[in-house]
Amino acid sequence: MNEVKSTSEVKRALEAKGLDPSGLARIGVRPSLGEYLQQLWQRRHFIWYDSRHRASTQNSRMHLGNVWLFLRPLIDAAFYFVIFGLVLKIGKGMENFPAFLIIGILLYRSTATSITSGTGLLRSNKAMIKAFTFPRASIPISAVLQATMTAVFTTMVMCFAIMVIPPFALPQISWVLVIPIFLIQAVLNLGLMLITARIGFHVPDMANVLAVVSRFLMYGSGVMFPIERFLDNETALSIVTLNPLYQIIDMMRTVLLDGQVPDLRAWIISIVSAVGILVVGFIYFWRAEESYGRELG
Amino acid sequence: MAENSADPALAEDDDHHDTLWVAPEESPLTVVAHRVRMRYKVPRTDRAPRSGLLGRLAPRRSMVSVSAVRGVDLLVREGEFVGIIGRNGSGKSTLLRMLAGVEPPTSGSIYTSARPQLLGVSAALMSDLTGAENIKLGFLALGMTPEKAEELVPQAAELSALGEAVDLPMRTYSSGMSSRLKFAISVMAQPRILMVDEALSTGDATFSKRSKSKMDELLEDAGTVFMVNHAPRAIENVCSRVIWMERGRVVMDGDTKEVSAMYRSFTYRMARDREDEAMAILREAIEHGEAQRAASALTLPEDHAPVAPDNVPELEPDPFTSIFELQMRAQSFPGTLQPRGRRAATRPAPATTPTTDKRGRHS
Repeated sequence: MNEVKSTSEVKRALEAKGLDPSGLARIGVRPSLGEYLQQLWQRRHFIWYDSRHRASTQNSRMHLGNVWLFLRPLIDAAFYFVIFGLVLKIGKGMENFPAFLIIGILLYRSTATSITSGTGLLRSNKAMIKAFTFPRASIPISAVLQATMTAVFTTMVMCFAIMVIPPFALPQISWVLVIPIFLIQAVLNLGLMLITARIGFHVPDMANVLAVVSRFLMYGSGVMFPIERFLDNETALSIVTLNPLYQIIDMMRTVLLDGQVPDLRAWIISIVSAVGILVVGFIYFWRAEESYGRELG
Repeated sequence: MAENSADPALAEDDDHHDTLWVAPEESPLTVVAHRVRMRYKVPRTDRAPRSGLLGRLAPRRSMVSVSAVRGVDLLVREGEFVGIIGRNGSGKSTLLRMLAGVEPPTSGSIYTSARPQLLGVSAALMSDLTGAENIKLGFLALGMTPEKAEELVPQAAELSALGEAVDLPMRTYSSGMSSRLKFAISVMAQPRILMVDEALSTGDATFSKRSKSKMDELLEDAGTVFMVNHAPRAIENVCSRVIWMERGRVVMDGDTKEVSAMYRSFTYRMARDREDEAMAILREAIEHGEAQRAASALTLPEDHAPVAPDNVPELEPDPFTSIFELQMRAQSFPGTLQPRGRRAATRPAPATTPTTDKRGRHS
C-alpha cells in the first residue's frame, strides 16, 4: 500500500512530476500551540479594535445608547434591594444584606454571561470567520474584552450603589483591591468562554444545559445568601470554597464591606483556578481550531 | 468541438476572448490539492409521513451523508486565472472554501504557497460598524498593523466605489454593496492567492471593470486568482483556465475556450430537457478530461486509493460511477469513492448509451 498521504509523500510525488514543492505549506490544519500564540499576538490590534467597537456599538440600536451601560446594573441593583432588602427582609441579622446581594448578583452575572454567551459565539461571528483567516481564539478573547469593558461601568455602579443604599458602605483603602479581583474574574471568564465556545459550536444543545449549570453555579457561589449558614458539612463546605467564583465574590465582599484584605488562601485559590481554567480552555479551544469555519456540524 | 458552434448560446461571446489573461508558461506552484474530499452528515426528513402508529411516532429524520466534493486533484501555478464552473450544488464553493483553508477537507490535503484570501458571498461583517470601520477591522484581521490599515482605508473605500455610503452602518448595505466592500478589503491586502466565490456577480458594470483590472494587477504580480461562477459567461471573459465540476468531481480542467464550450452545450441541453444529449456531452467531456485529471493526480508507484465509507448511507450515490466505470477498471481514477454495493449495480451500464438514471435534479 503506497498511498500518498503525508506531506513528505506529497512533496515526493510532486518532485516525481518534475515540479518544485518548496514554498508550499499545508493549509486547513491547526498550527502548533506556539505558532498559534504568535499569530494571536500578531492580531492583538484586531482584537483590541474589535472589542472596543463592539463595546461602544452594543447599545447603538437603543434610544438611550450607552446610558444603558450605567442604567442596566443600576436597575438590577435597585430591583434586588427592593425585593430582598425591603419586601422580603431576608438576611436579618446580617450587617449589610442589600450590599451583600448586589455584589453577589453583579459579579455572578458577569461570569454567567460569559458561560451562556459563549455557546453561540462562533455561530454569530460566522461572517468574520468565513471572510478572513485569523486565529479563531481572537473572537472569544475579544468578546471577553468587550464584556470586561462593560463590566468596568458595572463595577463603578456597584460601588456607587453600596455607598448610597443604607446602611451606607463608605470607601476605604481596601477598595483599591477591587481592581486585581476584577482582573482575576476577567481571566476566569475568558477561560470559561473558550470552553463553552467550542462546546456550543459542536453541540448547540449545550446552551440549555449550560444555563442550568450556571444556575447551579449561582447556588454554589453564595450569591444570594452566605453559604456557610446552610452548609454545616465540613467536606461540602471545603468543596464550595474551591469554587473560584465563590472566592472572587467573597473577596470582593471582604474588600468592599469589611474593609479588609482577603486572606492568602482566597488569593491563591482564585488565581490558580482562574489561570488553570484559562490554560485548559485555551488548549481545548485550539484543538478544534481548523474546524470553526465548517459550514455544517 | 465543431458541433458546439451551432449552439446559439455560444456564438455571441467570441468577441471577448482577446482580453483573456494569458498565464505564463513556466511558474512555481501556488496551490496543490491532493484527493480532496468533503462529506457532510446532515439530517434528512422524509416528506411523506410514514404509515402505521410506529411510523407516526418515530422521527422521520435520519442522518445521511452528502458528498460535496468527491476527490479532487489540482495543480495550480503562479499567474493562472482559474475559473471553476458547474451547476448549483456541484461542489464549486465547497472546493473553494477548502482551498482557502476556511474549511478543512474530510480527507485529502491542500498545500499553498501563501495564505489564500477568500471572497465569498455572505452577510455583512459587523453590521453595526460603518463600511470604513469594517474595512479597518478586516485589515487588522488579516494581520496588518494599525498604521498600515489606517493608511489603506481611504484607498479601499475608493476602490469599493461606495461613495458616501462607506460611513453608514453595514447593516444598511445591499448584498452588492457589501460584496464590493469585501472585495476592496481583500484586494487591498494584496493576497498572493485570491479566491472569489460568485461575490462579484452582484456588482454592477463599473465595478466589474474596476475589479477586473485589480485582479489583472494581482496576476501580473505573480499571484493566482480563482473564480467560481455557475454562469460560463462570467468565467470565460476573464479566466485563463477553467475547471468544470459536476457532482463534486472535476469533469474537465483546461483551456477556457474548450471547457466552457463543452459546459455551455451541456447546460444548453439540460435547460431544454434534452437530458440524454446532455449526458452524452458530459460523458464525452469526462473522457476528454481524463488525461488532465491524471496529470494532476499525485501518485507514488503502486498507488491506489481505497476508501472505506463509514456506516452513514449516501443521499445521492456518486452519479459518475456508471460513467466512469470503464476507466476505473482500467486505471486508477483519482478519488474513486464508491458507495458500497453501487459498483455491482452499475456495472451493466453499456458504454455506448449514456446513463440517465441517478442523475438527480438539476437546479
